[in-house]
Amino acid sequence: MRPRLYPVFKYTVIALWACFVAGPFFWAMTTSFKDANAVQGGATYLPWIQYQPTATGWRNIFGGAGGIDVIQPFLNSAIVTIAASAISLVLGSLAAYALSRYRFKIGFIKNSDIVFFFVSQRIMPPVVLVIPFFYLLQWAGLLDTIAGLVIVTVALLLPIAVWVMVDFFNGIPREIDEMAMLDGCGPLQTFVRAILPNSLPGLTVAAMFCAVFGWNDFFFAFRLTFTEVQTLPQAVVALNSSIPPWWTLSAAALFGVAPLVLLAIWVERYLSKGNLSGAVR
Amino acid sequence: MYGLRRHKSMFLLPGLLTLLLIIIFPLLFTIRVSFSGWNVSSPQMDFIAGANYAAMLHDSRFWSAIMRLILLAGGTVLIQYVVGFGMALLVWRDVRGRRFWRVLFLVPMMTTPVVMAAIWQMIFHESLGPLNDLLGMLGLTKVAWLTESGPALVALMTVEVWQWTPFMFLLLLAGLLSLPKEPFMAAAIDGADVWRTFWKVTFPLMAPVSVAAVIIRLIEASKLSDSVYVLTSGGPGSSTETPGYYLYIQGLRDQQTGYSGAMSLTYLVLMIVTLTVVAAMLTRALKLKGHS
Amino acid sequence: MTLSATDLSLTVDGVDHLKSVTATFEPGRLHTVIGRTMAGKTTLLRALAGLQEVDSGSLTRDGADLMRTPVWRRDTAMVYQQFINYPHLSVFGNVAFPLRRQGLSRDEIQRRVSKSLALVGLTGFERRKPSQLSGGQQQRVAVARALARGTGILLLDEPLANLDYKLREQLRDEFKTLFSDQGDTIVVYTTTEPAEAMMLGDVVLVMHEGRILQVGPPQEVFERPATTTVASIINDPPMNIFPGRIEGGQVTVAGFQATHVSAHLAQLPDGAYQFGLRATDVSLASAGVEGAVTFVEISGSETFVHAAVGKTPFVIQIEGIHDVALGDLVKLRLRPERLYAFDEKGSLVRTPSYDLVSVGGR
Repeated sequence: MRPRLYPVFKYTVIALWACFVAGPFFWAMTTSFKDANAVQGGATYLPWIQYQPTATGWRNIFGGAGGIDVIQPFLNSAIVTIAASAISLVLGSLAAYALSRYRFKIGFIKNSDIVFFFVSQRIMPPVVLVIPFFYLLQWAGLLDTIAGLVIVTVALLLPIAVWVMVDFFNGIPREIDEMAMLDGCGPLQTFVRAILPNSLPGLTVAAMFCAVFGWNDFFFAFRLTFTEVQTLPQAVVALNSSIPPWWTLSAAALFGVAPLVLLAIWVERYLSKGNLSGAVR
Repeated sequence: MYGLRRHKSMFLLPGLLTLLLIIIFPLLFTIRVSFSGWNVSSPQMDFIAGANYAAMLHDSRFWSAIMRLILLAGGTVLIQYVVGFGMALLVWRDVRGRRFWRVLFLVPMMTTPVVMAAIWQMIFHESLGPLNDLLGMLGLTKVAWLTESGPALVALMTVEVWQWTPFMFLLLLAGLLSLPKEPFMAAAIDGADVWRTFWKVTFPLMAPVSVAAVIIRLIEASKLSDSVYVLTSGGPGSSTETPGYYLYIQGLRDQQTGYSGAMSLTYLVLMIVTLTVVAAMLTRALKLKGHS
Repeated sequence: MTLSATDLSLTVDGVDHLKSVTATFEPGRLHTVIGRTMAGKTTLLRALAGLQEVDSGSLTRDGADLMRTPVWRRDTAMVYQQFINYPHLSVFGNVAFPLRRQGLSRDEIQRRVSKSLALVGLTGFERRKPSQLSGGQQQRVAVARALARGTGILLLDEPLANLDYKLREQLRDEFKTLFSDQGDTIVVYTTTEPAEAMMLGDVVLVMHEGRILQVGPPQEVFERPATTTVASIINDPPMNIFPGRIEGGQVTVAGFQATHVSAHLAQLPDGAYQFGLRATDVSLASAGVEGAVTFVEISGSETFVHAAVGKTPFVIQIEGIHDVALGDLVKLRLRPERLYAFDEKGSLVRTPSYDLVSVGGR
């Protein structure tokens, strides 16, 4: 390609992709300020020029007439995500540390097989798990509770935490562990005082993935919680299945994805500092 | 090391046991139930041997869902890889507004698939949606995006590409940012042009990250069902059904628990075998022996 | 507080890392372990520290078994070749880390860290992170941390190997005084450099292929290398070893026509021998046996000429810069009075009797 044409080509491609990426957000944003008339008149894009904006959609998602209240689902989602991520990170980094530092041999099973066992849980289709979970949680009296959903979500997130952290710990020189032990730390102290403080980049990446997959889970919440506990994706999809009030749906959708869009800003900052490169492989 | 044997299980077991406990019951349950006639009218764990498996062999809806998934997953992951790599290369170095583009290109993977599928459903709406409106402006005819089988598949793939290209973008950009500088200097000194530099330096160096990213995406794509549920509900007819969605229909909506158990296991085994073979082939093709 | 290793053996994938290693390490003395790369030096240190399990053998401290004592109760400090420090801690935090584990008071920690940092010349660097220091400074931090604890055993694994030449010499000189002040500490120091081993060590242990070949004071090891292998390990450049014969008091070196007479070898019985001669004891002359130059190194003040006489390689160390080119034919002259005689298996038979002048300043 001619050097002079290259920038033109580059920015055109970037702009086209940017439009595609931003399109749905733009559509949701503009639709969230419409009312029934504006929607039924066909596709319009610009407020004031093409339609008269109203805040009905936004009022509806905070308990307005004919809408829902997204605050409680938001809190539910947040609690489940944070609790499941925290449990997964703690258990996951402990297990990952063991798999990175010690040699296991149980019959023909070696370290790499155990790592594979953890990671392979991601292949498990949610449907396989959800029916048995239904009966399991019913038996335990945890159906339609936050605790039940947290337990199930841990199964979803633990593999991610192990996968990221094994790789990360493998990148930390073993001499650091040895030195800490020589300096008087037992195994647990070694992990807590010498390794964890040096694992912040890895932990952050793992936390990010856990947050994304935890927050965005729909299927488990959909089948295992109903009336008492509704997560945000559930609430939004419930809106969709009734006769679509597009303005309310759009407002609820934007509200539901907003926290993680903020996460993207923070991930980029991390990426630019080069901290992600060692942790994502 | 002396004195450590006792401690290693202390680190591993909490996580391993938790996962085993969460996973083992559903797996055993599914295996057992797949040999039973458990359904909505007789919800009990009787034993009907391989009847469910025999029925499954003749269930063309299941097999075409599997074939469809292979094409959908293969196609979308390929597009995601090419576009994600391309975008990562474009915003890798010297580009104006680098941070803005990077954030924007990451955003879709952070958003909830079912929620965004609901937005996409509006966009694809035949009469009120913006996509047909834009096509009209360009003088093209309207398309029944979600009610005709061909366009419905295109719509589904579009949503998948939109949602998950950012994931490829993230892994590949992180990979690019961690590349050593020396090979590029050497290539520049040798006078290699952009095209040659990419194929001789960048691409080989990125091979391990590429394989990992593609495999992770294939694993996740094999479970495709949430967005199908919201976007097309498998329709029109069963023309956009994926195994994940069909299993949902059989097992949860129609409560054919035994039958869906048999299909779940078959599907799980097929996916594990396919993904293992694909992973081995990709690794081999890129001569990555010794890399994970 | 003697540390004794008895019969330590370790084989990994058919390679002997340690082979029946028996050694005693005395308090208040600095033991240098010299050997080539892969000789088993690091493995020995790691076994002493408890970081490496061995296949067999025992380890005792004052007669008490150490094998069952976990690493964190071994009263041992170690300095690694690769400047290992805690990346997340400041220089102060790094040195204080083991002291905090011991539960010392704030004041005591402050006092010990300051003293230790002063010893290695890093006062004023307390708040820096290891990554903000040069390689030499990072290694000083590691040494300061090891010293601050005042452990009974101090292990140093080629601590200078990754430093540049000048810094290496400077730190080596500092170590000399630093370690002589360590009271009753057992210091074990590994190196591949003969000069380092000779200069620092009170006792030198020569290791090769997992075995300890010789133990003794530096001068003794240098003057009386027990075998040809020891002779080549503890000399830099390695001692020239070549086959020859003694017949009726006359020495014949393979490839050399002339015979040599040397008083100290005259009484040896007739037969085949291996002879050893340091590079400084071979010179280029106008007459002598011819050798083809295979390699020339010029260090600045010295020139090392590698030449082959027939199939026997020789290294010749001469003062100053000499204009010798690859492939040149040079004439070699040996100093017969400096010949070491080894038997055919390589064990020392006779040493030359000459004054040691240039060995590590002793």
